[in-house]
Amino acid sequence: MAANFWTSSHYKQLLDQEEVDVVHPLDKEKGITLVEFKLLKMHMANYIWKLATHVKVRQRVVATAVTYMRRVYTRKSLSEYDPRLVAPTCLYLAAKAEESTVQARLLVFYVKKMRTDEKFRFEIKDVLEMEMKILEAINYYLVVFHPYRSLSQLLQDAALNDTSMTQLTWGLVNDTYRMDLILVHPPHLIALACIYIASVLRDKDATSWFEELRVDMNVVKNISMEILDFYENHRMNMEERLNAAMAKLSLKF
Amino acid sequence: MVEIDPSKKVADRYLKREVLGEGTYGVVYKAIDTKTGQTVAIKKIRLGKQKEGVNFTALREIKLLKELKDPNIIELIDTFPHKGNLHLVFKFMETDLEAVIRDRNIFLSPADIKSYLQMTLKGLAYCHKKWVLHRDMKPNNLLIGSNGQLKLADFGLARIFGSPDRRFTHQVFARWYRAPELLFGTKQYGSGVDIWAAACIFAELLLRRPFLQGSSDIDQLGKIFAAFGTPTSSQWPDMVYLPDYVEYQYVPAPPLRSLFPMASDDALDLLSKMFTYDPKARISAQQALEHRYFTSAPLPTAPDKLPRPAPKRESSKNSEFNPNEGPTVLSPPRKSRRVMPQPEGFEGNAFQVDKHDVRGVEIRQAAGENTSRNEPVPMSVDFSIFATKPPNRPTINRDVYVNCDC
Repeated sequence: MAANFWTSSHYKQLLDQEEVDVVHPLDKEKGITLVEFKLLKMHMANYIWKLATHVKVRQRVVATAVTYMRRVYTRKSLSEYDPRLVAPTCLYLAAKAEESTVQARLLVFYVKKMRTDEKFRFEIKDVLEMEMKILEAINYYLVVFHPYRSLSQLLQDAALNDTSMTQLTWGLVNDTYRMDLILVHPPHLIALACIYIASVLRDKDATSWFEELRVDMNVVKNISMEILDFYENHRMNMEERLNAAMAKLSLKF
Repeated sequence: MVEIDPSKKVADRYLKREVLGEGTYGVVYKAIDTKTGQTVAIKKIRLGKQKEGVNFTALREIKLLKELKDPNIIELIDTFPHKGNLHLVFKFMETDLEAVIRDRNIFLSPADIKSYLQMTLKGLAYCHKKWVLHRDMKPNNLLIGSNGQLKLADFGLARIFGSPDRRFTHQVFARWYRAPELLFGTKQYGSGVDIWAAACIFAELLLRRPFLQGSSDIDQLGKIFAAFGTPTSSQWPDMVYLPDYVEYQYVPAPPLRSLFPMASDDALDLLSKMFTYDPKARISAQQALEHRYFTSAPLPTAPDKLPRPAPKRESSKNSEFNPNEGPTVLSPPRKSRRVMPQPEGFEGNAFQVDKHDVRGVEIRQAAGENTSRNEPVPMSVDFSIFATKPPNRPTINRDVYVNCDC
């Protein structure tokens, strides 16, 4: 499938970082800053991941769900598209689109079970209504490519596919969904960046292998830097900043 | 049902006309796109019982058609929600290959057949290049536009087959178009299943009747083996390992020529390569397009020169319901019985008998469909009357698949 990424809607829809980093005017009015916007999306990604462990879907489905969520907020506001409903609905839609349907009632059940906001209640019909709105927001483009597949192929090709490297890179790729990388960069470059970071951390020399690849290493290095920055920035407790952001939207979740 | 809500801008763009038919997951209307002046077909997706949101099959179709843009693939022009229902806007297509094959007034020259097969294979080659399996190839899903262009439609069963070890259901395709590996229950298959179906369509174009009309899965294999001989393990080494493999009594293959007396040598050669038992050895869509059949005389007919069902014939015989049946039934009623991933309930005899019956319905329907095509639309008739209440069609168990989808 990787060969077809270049002809896919995913490729055509890739955005520039500046296009992704726009706080919707309605959210801006409420005082949401760019940093807070990113933080909220990260929190939503984490929430989707948590919810997914309850309903037991493949990692690919979660990654697709997070991508849908991020695509939605390149066009819509947090104020109008309630994150507490968008998050589970993206998972619901992604599960369908990735051919491993999760029943809406099951999702609603688990959302209630892990409920963090006593006041916020929603039912199946709300998920289904939001499903339609999300489809419209993402302009019905449902096919998403992920770094996972290229990751295992690339690791093998680089002869770095031992357990420790596989696990580390896989974890790194998972963490990239806490950022907007999937909206900006081709998935195989994200995979390469993760391999690059892991090879440095594990002290593996992959320089010659990287040199032989016909990819723009500057892009790979930039992605790597972004990932490392992300880890750097999120070492301290985020709780407070996140709560402040959610208070502005009078959210809790 | 004629709902034009002036408050809705997108929906306003389309002027709904008559009902064309009842599709897999909802009504199909003819409409005029006021923005382009184009005639379109709009599939309104029923939202089931509001339990599981956007129909799974519809979602599949949307997902894949948004990626597939090719002259030989049906074009999804637009998608919009309206009054809680999702609407898919397609280019309006005049007729389908089944109607052409069944129309006894049409003579298909070898060049015409070549042209139809070429367009079919071009559409397939494009899908396969994009790693999409159609999985429901049959003449009725090959729509024909006003310029004679043939387009693959109905991607409700289609899937991306990228991962090499993903297991799929073998309950795909109408039985007569099902490849032997599917009939033996394989869960891991590839583009070869579409090629086998295309070969069945090729044969159907040559014979002007469905080629291998099995009445059950077992009988289908029997029909296949009677035509091409029981496969030997040297012909198809993996056969004996297939989940539902059963040994069949050895039947020798009659000469292919005896089954298709009118076909050219090149046609027979390509046909035999498409009907190869071992899916690994079966010709690919791209290879088939490069076969000398397509470059040897006579060359394929230009699409706009292809014969299409005549407008006037038979119109007297038909009931007044025909005007609103229209030629382009994107998804005729019988599709509602499509075989879905859950095999339960589909294995029994009931299903086999049904499937057979349904084919009968199809034939009658196709005969009826021919009539109103191209006829000047009687302007005095208010189509909205028809549109408000679609005629009762033999839509059996439409809800079954809705449940299965979940």
